[in-house]
Amino acid sequence: MIAQLILTALLIIILLYAWNESKRAPAIGILSLLAALAGLYFVWFPSHATRLAELVGIGRGVDLILYVWVAISLIVLLNLHLKLRMQMELITALARELAMANARAKSTSK
Amino acid sequence: MDPEKAKRIWVVVAAYNEAAVIAGVVAGLTRFGYHVVVVDDGSADGTADAATGTGAAVVKHPINLGQGAALQTGIEFALADCAEFVVTFDADGQHRAADIANLIDALTEHGADFALGSRFRGQALDLPPVRRLVLKAATWFTRLTTGLAVTDTHNGFRAMTRRGASRIKLRQNRMAHASEVLHQIARSGLKFVEAPVTIEYSAYSLAKGQKLTDSLMILVDLLARRLHR
Repeated sequence: MIAQLILTALLIIILLYAWNESKRAPAIGILSLLAALAGLYFVWFPSHATRLAELVGIGRGVDLILYVWVAISLIVLLNLHLKLRMQMELITALARELAMANARAKSTSK
Repeated sequence: MDPEKAKRIWVVVAAYNEAAVIAGVVAGLTRFGYHVVVVDDGSADGTADAATGTGAAVVKHPINLGQGAALQTGIEFALADCAEFVVTFDADGQHRAADIANLIDALTEHGADFALGSRFRGQALDLPPVRRLVLKAATWFTRLTTGLAVTDTHNGFRAMTRRGASRIKLRQNRMAHASEVLHQIARSGLKFVEAPVTIEYSAYSLAKGQKLTDSLMILVDLLARRLHR
């Protein structure tokens, strides 16, 4: 029961994260949302996880939950990559502005 | 070309560590009367210094951002200086300045906003067979993803009207910008034409140019760009 509550708290945080990210990166938001909802469902209905796991050939329900967790980690990793790209866009805009301002200053000082 | 018309044309040259050749490339352009802006993309070899005094405007990125970012800077610089036509031109000497007139003529003759240079309608001198194959595959991919009936892709030799250039907002800093340009042209709904150009590969330009392994990174960049706003 304690493990279930801890996992639920973590997955709720991921749900909030997914909601927040969906405005900026809809694909990431939807993927995180689906993975977190699946995780929540399996945490509270482990027997369903076992049945589904057997159906798709994973073996044990707990393994399925582990796989869902790995999927969430990968999505978060992808999201970090996207955030880095967006940071780079901001740096680019800043560098461009600086370069243009320097060029203008040089041409007016001539 | 009429010298008055040439003065309305800005040629954008994005350069990264091209100190050895940049002065020659600029000289080849200014003799036709074109305005030239060299965007030094944070070079470490003094490219900006080599371009200074050649008659070109020089804009220097404080850090290396990538060719796409440098081209966007050059396009914005040219537009701010009332350019009527903007041409993008490689810094490694593989493009021919004489072909610019053909691109501009193609724009005016067809009433288009974009004239894309095509090495496969023109000539690709000393193009290695493997690279030809990759370019053909990339062209096929571009046709499929943009719906544009192009015969060449990842060719940095293009001309745009002021209206066309204003619609280009490159956010792919690195090599994927060449695909992004075509996507933005397709999305703009503005008319484009292809014009034959000659691309002359040399040991220098092949060493500086895109590697085959870049193809994979271009695909990753294009995909990643679609995942966020």
